[in-house]
Amino acid sequence: MNAERLAKARELLEAFPQKSSALIPILHLVEEEFGWIPEEEVAVVADLMGYTPAYVESVLSFYTLFHRQPTGKYLIQVCRGLSCQVRGADELSKFLYEELGVQRSGTTEDGMFTVEAVECIALCKDAPAVQINLEFYPDMTPEKMQAFLDKARQEVPSDA
Amino acid sequence: MPETRILFKHIDVPGIDRIDVYEQHGGYQSLRKAVLDMTPESVAQEVMTSNLRGRGGAGFPTGRKWSFLPKDGRTRYLVCNADESEPGTCKDQELIYKNPHLLIEGVAASAYAIGAEDAFIYLRGEFKVGYAILERAIAEARAKGYVGDDVLGSGRRIEITLYLGAGAYICGEETALLNSLEGKRGQPRLKPPFPATAGLYGMPTVVNNVETLAAVVPILEMGGAEYSKLGSEKSAGTKLFSVSGTVRNPGNFEVELNKVTLRELVYDLAGGPLEGREIKGIIPGGSSVPILTPDKFDVALDYESLAAAGTMLGSGGVIVLDDHSCIVKSTLRLMEFYRHESCGFCTPCREGTMWLDQVLERIEAGLGRPGDLEMLADLCVNIEGRTFCPLGDAAIGVLKSGLELYHEEYQAHIDQGCCPLGEVVR
Ligand SMILES: Cc1cc2nc3c(=O)[nH]c(=O)nc-3n(C[C@H](O)[C@H](O)[C@H](O)COP(=O)(O)O)c2cc1C
Ligand code: SF4
Ligand code: FES
Repeated sequence: MNAERLAKARELLEAFPQKSSALIPILHLVEEEFGWIPEEEVAVVADLMGYTPAYVESVLSFYTLFHRQPTGKYLIQVCRGLSCQVRGADELSKFLYEELGVQRSGTTEDGMFTVEAVECIALCKDAPAVQINLEFYPDMTPEKMQAFLDKARQEVPSDA
Repeated sequence: MPETRILFKHIDVPGIDRIDVYEQHGGYQSLRKAVLDMTPESVAQEVMTSNLRGRGGAGFPTGRKWSFLPKDGRTRYLVCNADESEPGTCKDQELIYKNPHLLIEGVAASAYAIGAEDAFIYLRGEFKVGYAILERAIAEARAKGYVGDDVLGSGRRIEITLYLGAGAYICGEETALLNSLEGKRGQPRLKPPFPATAGLYGMPTVVNNVETLAAVVPILEMGGAEYSKLGSEKSAGTKLFSVSGTVRNPGNFEVELNKVTLRELVYDLAGGPLEGREIKGIIPGGSSVPILTPDKFDVALDYESLAAAGTMLGSGGVIVLDDHSCIVKSTLRLMEFYRHESCGFCTPCREGTMWLDQVLERIEAGLGRPGDLEMLADLCVNIEGRTFCPLGDAAIGVLKSGLELYHEEYQAHIDQGCCPLGEVVR
C-alpha cells in the first residue's frame, strides 16, 4: 500500500471497539489501490493486524469483491439476477463478451476492461443493471454499453 | 390504488440528501423529541405500541425484539442491516441513496431507545457510493449535534459507524453479519444465544433492517398508537415493495399493509404486463419465498394473508414472471445463486444446492431424464428444515412451489428435450 493508505489503515486499527473489525476495511484499501489483493499485500495486512497471512487469506477468500487476480481499469459487473435476466441481462453479457473478446469473468488483454457476471446488486427495478467500478448504471442496453466503452477508450492515451 | 407515502414522503424532493433541506421538511424533529422530551423507555414503548414488525424478512415485532435486551449493565449495540442482497429487493438502496438522513435519524433515535452508544450500519460491499452518501450525511448530522458525544446537549453519546461488506449474500443473515462486522468470515452462528444476549463482540445487540429503523422516525412523529392504525392489527404500518421483472413500470412502491392486493400492486401501480404478454407467476417476498399463480393474485399484501396463501411477505421484493419467462430457466438461475452463496458450512445446503443446480441444468439443456422431477422434489425434502441457518429453506422456496404449480412445464422440458417456449428469452 502507498503511504497514504497505510496511514489510513493504521487509523482503522483504532476505529472500532475491537481491532478485528479493521480487517475488512483494510482489505478494501488494498483492493482500491491495486484493483485486486496481491500476495505481498496479504502479508502486509497480516502484519498490521497481527494475524498470520493464512488467516487473512481465509477471511478474504470468503468475499467475492476481493479479487485474487488483477482486474482491468474498468470493472464491469453485469447483474445476472432473475429480475435482470428476464429483462435482457443475457443479451447484454453476450454483447460484452463479443465486443471485448472475453469470457465470463475475464479481462481484456490491454488491461482496460474486466467483465464479471454477478448476482443481484439491488437495482432490480432498473433492470438490466450494471455496475462499473461500483457505480450503478441502471436500465442498460447494448447501445448504452457501447457508448460507455467508446468513451472509456477515448479517454486513454493512444500509446497506453 | 394510491400509494401511502410515509417513508417515501420526501424521497423525490430535490436535495433531500442535504441536511438543511431535510430539516426544512421536518427532519430531525423525531430525534429532537426523543432525546429532549422522552425517556429511552418511552421511545421504546412507542415502537412497541406501533406494532411495527421487522422489514428485513422475518417480520418479527420490533418493540418485542428490543425488550429482549438483558438489563445487566453491559455495553449494548445497535446494528442496522443494510446488506440488502435478497434478489428482487432494492428498497433500502433507494432510501439510503436518496434520503440518507431519514435512516440516520431512525438509527440515532433507536440507539437512544435501546440504550446503545454505538450504532453500526453494515452496508453490502456494492453500496460503496451509498457509503459515501451516508458518510457525508453523518458528518452533516454531527455538525448539527444530532450524533456525537453529547447529542443536542442531552449528555447522551450516540456514534454511528459505517461498515462496508465485501460481497456475500449470507452476510444479510444477522449472525453472519455480526461475524463479518467483527472482521471474520461471514459464517452464521448457532442460535441461541440470540444477538439480544450475545451479539456484536459478545455483547447484547439489536439487529434491524434499514426500513425498520427508518420507520421509527414517523412512529415518533405521529405516535405509536396512530401508526398502529395504519394497516391491520397484525400487519401495522406501510411497507415498501420493490416490483421488478416483466412489468411495464417497475419500481419501489409504498403501500399500507392489508389495504392493497398483490394484483393492484403489480397491475395498477407497476403498470401490469408488458405489451402482449401475460403474467404467469409472482414471487412476492424476494427470491426465497414460494411463487404464486394468477388465481392467488387477489391476496392482500400483509404478513398473515400472504402466509395463508402459502407464501411469505419476506423482504417485499416482488418478482414478476410472464409467459415468455421459462420456469425451468428461472428456477435454475435462482439455484445457481443459492449454490454460489451457500457458505458451505453444513452438508444439506452445500451438497443439496449443488445437486439441485446440476439436475436443473441438465433439464434446462434438454438432457433431463425420467425421474429427474422426483429427484428434485426429494432433494428439497432433504434440505427443508435440516440446515444450520435459514438459507437452506430459502434456496428451495421458489423451486418447491414451482415444481407443483408448473409441473407440466418442467415435464415438457424432459419429454421434448427442449424448452416448450422456444428460444424466447425476454
Ligand atoms: C440468508 C438470509 C439473508 C438475509 N438477508 C437480509 C438482508 O439482506 N437484509 C435484512 O435486513 N435482513 C436480511 N435477513 C434477515 C436478518 O437475518 C434479520 O432477520 C433482520 O436483519 C432483522 O431485522 P428486522 O427485524 O428489522 O427485519 C436475511 C436472513 C437470511 C436467513
Ligand atoms: S444453510 Fe447454507 S448458508 Fe446456512 S450455514 Fe448451512 S451451508 Fe451455510
Ligand atoms: S436482479 Fe439484477 S439488480 Fe437485482
